[in-house]
Amino acid sequence: MAADPALSRPVRGGEHLLVALVFVWVAGLSVWPLARLFLEAFGPGEDGRALGLMAEVLGARSTRRALFNTLAASGGSVAVSLVLGAGLALATGLFALRGRVAMTFLVLSPLLIPSQTLALAWIELTGSTSPVLRPLGLAPPPGTTNPIYSGWGIALLMGIEHMPLVFIAMRAALTGLPGDLVEAARVAGAGRARIIARILLPLALPAALAGGILAFAAAVGNFGIPALLGIPGRFPMLTTLIYQRLNGFGPSVAGQVAVLAMILVALALAALGLRALVLARLAVPAGSGAPLRPLEAGRARLWIQAAVWAVLAGIAILPMLALLATALSPALGVELRLSTLTLRNFSDAFANPTILRAFANSLALSVAAAALCALVAVPFAFLRVMVRRPVIRVLDWLADGPWVVPGTVVALAMILAFLRPLPLIGSLYGTWTILLVAYLARFMPLVLRPVLAAAGAMEPAQDEAARLFGAGPLRRMGAILAPAVLPALSAGAMLAVMTAVNELTLSALLWSSGNETIGVMVFALQYEGNSTAAAAVSVASVALVLGIALALDRLAPHLPRGTLPWRS
Amino acid sequence: MNTLRLLPLLAGSLVAGAAAAQDAQTITVYTSQPQDQMAGVVEAFNRDHPEITVEIFRSGTTELMAKLAAEFAAGQSPADVMLIADAVAMTQLKNEDRLLAYEDAPVAGIPEAVIDPDMTFFGTKLITTGIIYNTNMVEQAPASWADLARPEVAGSLIMPSPLYSGAAVIHVGTMTQQPEFGWEYYETLADGGAVAGQGNGTVVEAVARGEKAYGIIIEYMALNAKAKGSPVDFVFPEEGVSVITQPVAIMKDSDAVEAAKVFVDWQLSQTAQEQSVAQGYFPILEGVAPPEGYPDPASLKILPADLATMLSEDRANKEAFAEIYGG
Repeated sequence: MAADPALSRPVRGGEHLLVALVFVWVAGLSVWPLARLFLEAFGPGEDGRALGLMAEVLGARSTRRALFNTLAASGGSVAVSLVLGAGLALATGLFALRGRVAMTFLVLSPLLIPSQTLALAWIELTGSTSPVLRPLGLAPPPGTTNPIYSGWGIALLMGIEHMPLVFIAMRAALTGLPGDLVEAARVAGAGRARIIARILLPLALPAALAGGILAFAAAVGNFGIPALLGIPGRFPMLTTLIYQRLNGFGPSVAGQVAVLAMILVALALAALGLRALVLARLAVPAGSGAPLRPLEAGRARLWIQAAVWAVLAGIAILPMLALLATALSPALGVELRLSTLTLRNFSDAFANPTILRAFANSLALSVAAAALCALVAVPFAFLRVMVRRPVIRVLDWLADGPWVVPGTVVALAMILAFLRPLPLIGSLYGTWTILLVAYLARFMPLVLRPVLAAAGAMEPAQDEAARLFGAGPLRRMGAILAPAVLPALSAGAMLAVMTAVNELTLSALLWSSGNETIGVMVFALQYEGNSTAAAAVSVASVALVLGIALALDRLAPHLPRGTLPWRS
Repeated sequence: MNTLRLLPLLAGSLVAGAAAAQDAQTITVYTSQPQDQMAGVVEAFNRDHPEITVEIFRSGTTELMAKLAAEFAAGQSPADVMLIADAVAMTQLKNEDRLLAYEDAPVAGIPEAVIDPDMTFFGTKLITTGIIYNTNMVEQAPASWADLARPEVAGSLIMPSPLYSGAAVIHVGTMTQQPEFGWEYYETLADGGAVAGQGNGTVVEAVARGEKAYGIIIEYMALNAKAKGSPVDFVFPEEGVSVITQPVAIMKDSDAVEAAKVFVDWQLSQTAQEQSVAQGYFPILEGVAPPEGYPDPASLKILPADLATMLSEDRANKEAFAEIYGG
């Protein structure tokens, strides 16, 4: 690695500049706001005692109830995610079923459907006026509260929303298993059920468990589902308690909610630590060899296929149909018939300049965030993979912070960091910029991870050669690294756009007049008692994301394998 | 899509962000009126005043007040005009010296009772709170507040919470000031199984969907849902209704005072009154007819209310309500 010092001096100068850029980026967007939050949470209480604030909030009954509810609903949701995710991964991973791409797409569809839309869809599906269940006579009787407004409902929906995390982990583990194991077992006379239960499951379960722990971390930080189901259902969770406190009392309670946010951070970090432990202790190296071939399903195939479609209908198709039906119905509580079908909710929504602007804002924010993250990801990857300074390793780790902690925490950190006017930039609160800053911090890892992976897979000799010939860092980065990571970069940026365009958690706390987002609009319309409009906006936003996904799918041949989760 | 093709989009979005900066012909209105209604208001206003751009920030009154507090802490608020449900919240802002005294506001024909004596805020409509019920579920419509206390009714009753809704602040404040109701009335309802939702929106949702048979709600939300075809109807209870006036005010720190005054003038004009009647509101201006199917406002029995006491007891009232119905 040691180069001729005479050669490396000017080289180092360019590197310093890049290091400074990345340092300022990570420090300004991630470290400073989160540090500000820590400072607030560890502040003195009303009586001036050290750590008094923490003692006060942790001792409050409302905190304990929200914490207990968060743990219970998140724990329940993990059970749902594990059963659904592992079951679907086994069915689609082990057997040669028909329509596997369509199935996989539907299994992963919760990744594309934001949690507030999923909640809205299930509210329509399970209520006493359900357009799907009422004609079948299965809807709950009039006069009963929708059963989805409960801890059980929240657990079920968060379980469905985060199920793809388990599915992806389990599928990857199954794909990585050597086929020889199955061959050997078959030769020894083991039947299909025995092979699955005694060989494949034990080997793939640690991966599923690791996915389940990720699902737990995601559930702890989920805001859209508890907000739409838990606030009316009087099932407060930590994320909704933070939102309600901040929106009901304003910045005077910032310290108290910072403590609540710290509980969320602790839960998320504990989950990630546990995941690392599971992967280190339980994963069994299965060796390599020819990949697993699909098992013979025989006559069972039709049954398995039917079962998969039934599950997918329940978790993905019917709720969206119920949402669509509500978007097409003239008013709440009106039974949908062909004669009452109307597009008025759509035309009204898109005649409303605020809603139109929300779409423009969300698109602009998500595209701007993805593009800026992409611009920074290249020098970041260059420094991380080719220059390998220790400080960059630390920055790499820190840049994950805003993605690892719940979105509510990030939003709160941004308020604390940028509410009071700062020298040169003034106060960012109530501006478009604070949303952009929050999006940049939150979605950076979505762009950075694939780029780092692609850079890590490059042949190091290319860069060595360029360096020996005296190419400066900018040259090496632009001519060698950038072309090699471009597919991963574009895919990462597109995934960031798809995720950010329906963002609610950050926006709910940071939006201001003129700076509405789609997620905020859906949330606000539902709260006003205008569910039909909320449904129409949701349907339009899902169509938008679906459009982006299909465009990405068309690009699949040009992208590195495994970039698109539904194509793997 | 590659990075280069993203760049023009990025540039475009940054320009859009910069253009959102204020100028004197743009006013920002903070309001608790529903989205679609405000879109109609802005459209009608721009027919008369195309030169003024109106930005809307909509949320519940309580949340708007918290948002303002955050913005004041940040140094300034973009709000130029407040158009919110109740006089209690307005009085709070006035007492914090946030409102501009608009001495020459055109208030002819507006009842003196809804105008702040210091001319900082002006009522724009009458909004009454009464009873909504689901017509598929209820055979005998309730006629009075007392009817709601019957156990078989209270068990299927939902009401808005003063922790979210400005109208509910006034309604609960008014009802608890009546000797025949008081807090005992709310305790009876709660004992019978009544629940509190959030704003009036949650009430119309629950009743129109048939999750609850009865609700306490502001009249236009119920009557608009009925007009759109939802299976609901509305009753003005015989003991009387509580009233809010949806006052409008100009922020003292507004950087567009003249444009804000034009908006306030328009809110108090005949055109605006007729426009709000078309959206289902009782008019406040003399000589404007109420919406079709509404009673003559003069015939409404209005429950007496002491706003000064209500303001001083605001926090206690919210806490008492939360004590009975949960936060």
